[in-house]
Amino acid sequence: MFRSPKCGAFTAALLMSISPVLIAGPLGIGAPATAEMIAGWDIDIRPDGQGLPPGAGSVADGEGLYEAQCASCHGLFGEGAGRWPVLAGGEGTLDTAHPEKTVGSYWPYASTLWDYIHRAMPYPAPQSLTDDEVYAITAYVLYLNDIVDDDFVLNQETFQEVKMPNEPNFYIDDRPDVVNTRCMANCADPALFEIVTTINGVTPTAHFKEDSGVAANHYGNESSGAESVKVALSDAAVAGESVHAKACNVCHGAGIAGAPVTGDAGAWTDRIAQGMSTLNKHAIEGYVGKNGVMPAKGGNMALSDDEVANAVAFMVESSQ
Amino acid sequence: MTKLFEPSLPKLMEALASEAQGLKGMDRRNFLKGGIAAVAGLASVQIIPKANAEPNLPPNIPEWQTYLGRGVVAKPYGEPSEFEDLQRRTVPWLTADAQSSISMTPLQDLEGIITPSGLVFERYHGGIPNVNPDQHRLIIHGLVDRPIVLSMDDLRRFPSVSEIRFIECPANGGMEWRGAQMEAVQFTHGMLSCCEWTGVKLSSLLAEVGVKPEGKWILAEGADAAGMSRSIPIEKALDDALIVWGQNGEALRPEQGYPVRLLLPGWEGNTSVKWLRRLEVGDQPWHHREETSKYTDLMPDGRARRFTWVQECNSVITSPCPEKPLRHRGFLEIQGFAWSGKGKIKAVDVSFDGGVNWQRAELKGLVLDKALTRFSLQTQWNGEPWLLQSRAIDETGYVQPTLRQLRDLRGGWSIYHKNSIHTWNVTEKGEVYNVQIS
Repeated sequence: MFRSPKCGAFTAALLMSISPVLIAGPLGIGAPATAEMIAGWDIDIRPDGQGLPPGAGSVADGEGLYEAQCASCHGLFGEGAGRWPVLAGGEGTLDTAHPEKTVGSYWPYASTLWDYIHRAMPYPAPQSLTDDEVYAITAYVLYLNDIVDDDFVLNQETFQEVKMPNEPNFYIDDRPDVVNTRCMANCADPALFEIVTTINGVTPTAHFKEDSGVAANHYGNESSGAESVKVALSDAAVAGESVHAKACNVCHGAGIAGAPVTGDAGAWTDRIAQGMSTLNKHAIEGYVGKNGVMPAKGGNMALSDDEVANAVAFMVESSQ
Repeated sequence: MTKLFEPSLPKLMEALASEAQGLKGMDRRNFLKGGIAAVAGLASVQIIPKANAEPNLPPNIPEWQTYLGRGVVAKPYGEPSEFEDLQRRTVPWLTADAQSSISMTPLQDLEGIITPSGLVFERYHGGIPNVNPDQHRLIIHGLVDRPIVLSMDDLRRFPSVSEIRFIECPANGGMEWRGAQMEAVQFTHGMLSCCEWTGVKLSSLLAEVGVKPEGKWILAEGADAAGMSRSIPIEKALDDALIVWGQNGEALRPEQGYPVRLLLPGWEGNTSVKWLRRLEVGDQPWHHREETSKYTDLMPDGRARRFTWVQECNSVITSPCPEKPLRHRGFLEIQGFAWSGKGKIKAVDVSFDGGVNWQRAELKGLVLDKALTRFSLQTQWNGEPWLLQSRAIDETGYVQPTLRQLRDLRGGWSIYHKNSIHTWNVTEKGEVYNVQIS
C-alpha cells in the first residue's frame, strides 16, 4: 500500500504525533544560558580551587574587616557569642565528651570557608563583600585557627598551600551500620533496664494549651517573657520595621555583642537620652562602646542612611 | 405555653401515645396533630436548659443551628476551624535566631499521611526569600552540551509527575541523642512531613541539557540569603529526583521553596534545596558548608561520616503521646507513623514492655514508597503502666534499631540520623512521658 517514500514519511510523522511522548532528547524548552548570565550566578568554589576569582587578602587586612563584620556574632577570637557559631579552637576535642567543631578542628577544606563567607556572610548582608575582602577574612579566620601565619596573604596560588588538619578524618557514609533483628518474644532483659526521664523545664510549653496533655511538670518553668504591647509608631518607625527584621534583629533581637534588645525599655533608656542624632550616627557609622560593637549599618552597607535611621526609629519607639 | 410535660422527648412521646389510646378516628388524628405541634413547640421554646447543663448538648438545640451560618467565599482561602489548635512549634533555645532555625510539624494532630502545607516543618538557614516567580530563573550549566535558563513557564512545559513523599530533617530526634529531653512528639519527631509533590523529573531536565560523560555530580543552589548549596551524585539525579513547583494540589508554599525546589525522595531534607536557582554539573563534589561543617556525622573516634544522605527506617507512636494522653480505660487503638528513605514499609511491631515482647501492628491506608505510612494496633488499656514502643521494618529488611544499638556504634554526638526505637512511658493515670531505656 504505502510503498512510496513520500507516503512512508507521512505515516511516520502521523505515528509520532499520536504516540505517547518518550523523552530521549531535548524538547527545545527554555533559552540558552549565556556566559554572562552564568558568570553572575556561578559563585561556587571547590576544594581544588576551581571557582576562586582573582584577588588577594592578607591576615592583617582581615583583622579589621573581621572585627567590623564578623566579631559581633563570632567573637573577637572566633569564640562565638551566644548561640552563634564558634569559629576557632576545639583542636583535639572531637573524640571527647565535649567535641567542639570549628573551622580549625573540623572543616576539611579551606575552599568551603571562602565559598561560605562569600555566599552567605555577613549573615544580614550576604554577597555584599568584595572578593578581596573575602580573601582577607578567610585568611584571618585561618590565622585565628593557627593554620596560617600572621604574614600570610591568601590568593589563588597560596590557597593551594593551605591544608586543613581534619581533612583525613572524613569518610563516606557506611550505613547501614546497625543490624537489629525482628525478635518477637523475650528480646531483652527487663532487669537490666535503666529508665531515663526528661529534665523539667526543657520542653517549650508556651504554645501549647494548658490542657493539651503536655506533661504538667513542664509548666511554670519558663520565664513568661515581656508581654507584647502594641505602640503607635511614627511613619519612619513603620518604614523601619522591615529593615529591622532583615538587618538589625540578628543582634538586637537576642542581645548579641552587647546590643540593646529591641523592646527592652531598661536597656534603651540611657541610649535614647543621648538623642536621636547620636543614635543615628552610631548606627550609620558604627560605634565601639563599653558593652560591645555596633558595626556600621549593622554590617549591611547596602542600606541607605535613611533606612538605618528608620530602623533606629523603630527600635527606639518600640523600646520606650 | 405552659410546661405540660417533663422536657424529655421519649417521655413526651409516651404520654402522647397513651392519651391517644382513648380516642378514635378523626379525634385521634386531630389530637396527634396537636400533640406533634406541642412537641415542636416544646423543642423550640419550652425546653429551657437547666443551669448546670451544656446548652449545646442534647436534648438542647445547639446554638449554631439556630441561625444562618457563614456564606460562600466569606473566607476565599479556607482555614481550619477556630476550635482547632494546629500549629508548627519551635524550640526557642535550639538556635540563635528565627531566620536560621527550625519548627516542627504537629504529628500528634495529623489524621492521615498528608501533612497540610501550612503545617509542614520549616528549616531555613537565612529566612524565607520573597521570590517573585515571574523574575525567578533556573539555570542549568556546567558539564552539559546545552546550558539553559528556564522560567517557571518553561518548567511547566515539561511532562510532569505527582508523587507522595516524606521530607525529614536529618536532625529529627537529634535533641534526644544524649538523653530524653522533649515531652512532646512534636519536638521528638516533628521535623518530618509528607506531601504530594508535583513537578518534573530531574532526569528530564538533564536530558534537555545533555550531560557530558564526565558529569558525575550536580551542585544544587537556592536563591535564599544562605545561598543553600549541596552536591548531589548524578545517580540520584537520574533516579528519582524531582524539581517541584506543586505541593498538596497548589503552588509550593514560600516556606517550602516557592516557586520551585529540588526534591530528593528519602534523603535528608537539606539536600532538597529550596528556592532553586541553579544546577551545575561537575566531575566532583563541592564539599560546601552544609556537607562538611554541618550534615556530617561525628563518630566516637573523632572521625566523621560524610554524604550521609539516606533517612533510614523509623517510626513513632502518635496516639497516645505526651500531647495525647489516655483518658479512657477499655478499648484503645494505638496509632502512629512509620517511614523509610529506602522504600516501602513492610511491617510495624508494637511493644508494651519496653521491647521485651512484640506484637505485629496493622498497616493502615496507603503504603507508598518513601512516604509516611500509618499503623494501628487495637488493644485494651485498664490502668496498667506501659513502656510503649514501635519498631518498623522496611522492604529492604532493615529493622529499626534500639537506642542502645545506635549509641554503641555512633556515640552521643553525631546529631543527625537518630532513627532508634522510641519509648513512651504510659502511667497508671494515662499520662504519657518521654523516656529512654539504656
